[in-house]
Amino acid sequence: MSATTAPRNLDVTGSAHVPMSRLAKVELRKALDTRAGRWLIVGILGLILVVEVIYSFAAPDDSKNLDDYLQIPGATFGFFLPIIVIMLVTSEASQRNGLVTFTLEPKRSRVVVAKFLAGIGLAIAVMVLGFLLAMVGTAFGIVTGSSPTWSVSGDMLFSALFLANMIGVFTGFALAMLIMNTAGAIVGYFAYSLILPTAVGILSLLSSTFEDIAPWVEFNTAQTPLISGDYAPTGEQWAQILTAGIVWLVIPLALGIWRLLRIEFK
Amino acid sequence: MITVEGLTRKYGAFTAVDDVSFVCEPGRVTGFLGPNGAGKTTTMRVMVGLTPPTSGRVTIGGHLYHDIPNPGLHVGVLLDASAQHAGRTGREILTLGAQTMGLPLSRVDEMLDLVSLEQNEAKRRLRNYSLGMKQRLGIAHALLGDPSVLILDEPANGLDPAGIRWMRGLLKGYADRGGTVLLSSHLLHEVEQIADEMILIGRGKIVASGTKDELLADAEHKTSLVTALDNDQLSKVLADRGVTFTSAGSGLRVDAPPVDIGRLSVDYGIVLTDLRSADGGLEDLFLTLTEDTQREALPQGATQSPALTEGTQA
Repeated sequence: MSATTAPRNLDVTGSAHVPMSRLAKVELRKALDTRAGRWLIVGILGLILVVEVIYSFAAPDDSKNLDDYLQIPGATFGFFLPIIVIMLVTSEASQRNGLVTFTLEPKRSRVVVAKFLAGIGLAIAVMVLGFLLAMVGTAFGIVTGSSPTWSVSGDMLFSALFLANMIGVFTGFALAMLIMNTAGAIVGYFAYSLILPTAVGILSLLSSTFEDIAPWVEFNTAQTPLISGDYAPTGEQWAQILTAGIVWLVIPLALGIWRLLRIEFK
Repeated sequence: MITVEGLTRKYGAFTAVDDVSFVCEPGRVTGFLGPNGAGKTTTMRVMVGLTPPTSGRVTIGGHLYHDIPNPGLHVGVLLDASAQHAGRTGREILTLGAQTMGLPLSRVDEMLDLVSLEQNEAKRRLRNYSLGMKQRLGIAHALLGDPSVLILDEPANGLDPAGIRWMRGLLKGYADRGGTVLLSSHLLHEVEQIADEMILIGRGKIVASGTKDELLADAEHKTSLVTALDNDQLSKVLADRGVTFTSAGSGLRVDAPPVDIGRLSVDYGIVLTDLRSADGGLEDLFLTLTEDTQREALPQGATQSPALTEGTQA
């Protein structure tokens, strides 16, 4: 506001939209600049280290290879990464900073994309860190008496570490946008990732028909081939991931985005 | 310039804002005044695109808010100073805003200085801020992008008297440099001090607007508050002329307009130390205009002390 005259119209020709890269950078910063976000990440990485040390002492020497150690960050991230994403989204409503976020960028779809990019970036960053921690673990395995192989299959890296965790991240997005409340979304996430598969497991034991249907409709069951065995799902298993994914990921995500674009942030 | 045109916002059967139109001119501070729940916040939320209108529209400098690129550089907004992540520090909140708008980080320190938040206060988390500190931070956030339009919802809420004086100076200076300021309040006294122009809203409708003088032009004064060096002498003269009065504080409340009492004092040589109208002020106007929208009917007995009530009964 340098002009001393009083213009009745705003000249906005000189200003460009906030670039997506900048929005994503701010969202990434928002995921890490609160105590909850920062300590959750530190906690996850610490937990991985602790489990690796225990594993090094407990496991037989012939299963202390790099791909064995990679299971540890893989499983831990699968569990906690969605929670970071949930907090990143729900804090806009729970902590009410959506009022500021959506006045600085009123095109909400751009904020959604920025949050996705930040979530993906964060996930990849912790995956790389997890990979490095797995190498540290393997090296520690040598100290406890193993002679590990350092080879890792591409299938494992892609399916178990990358794809499974990305699905987790987007599941977090979907739940967060649908429920729009931090505590509620985290409870919802644990119901989805712990209670649902257990219930499906019990039902599968009782009924062989259900056991056949389960991987087509229950996403955790469908993802099992991604994170176990030879990490290479068969064509039928990919189809199961796709159908269960539509039910548990694509539809909730679409509804969640629809809700976030319309909700009144108070 | 902010232009509100036929704005209506309904929530089901409830109409929060009912066909509201007004203009906030550049170079002026416009006060948006109304009782709780009158529709001030809803109107401001529609202005910045957080709430879609049911009908009508708001333009800022000729644009819909949604169409302004990087709006933080053009329109400074403070809707609720508490609506920030409670776990972030004041500095971090400003840094996020500056980064989004693409401003250098030096701007954060400039704004902290401007609103007189100390460096050690800026390092504290928002949950440890007093309401007044949150308001200062919110104003700093609104001013980050050096905007030409300011939209502030209840900015004086929680500020101490020095803070209100500071904000008055800040906003006056801002308007003098050509900025447009719209600020809301439910406290007449605050708005009266700060605003050049006032818009009174009650139950979703504009009930009056204009400058203070314009609003008071038609007001009638029938009661005065007067204090004389010798109140007894004044009482005697009033009683002689059949003018009713009661004692009020150190002076008298007289059922006559100030001009009549002024004449009496000249005629009888009574020295007055204070003379003003006891009604017809902005507050009366405000209460009259928003009467049917007030939650309380201002019962007479409720304002009297219990001792006094007992006294009159006995």
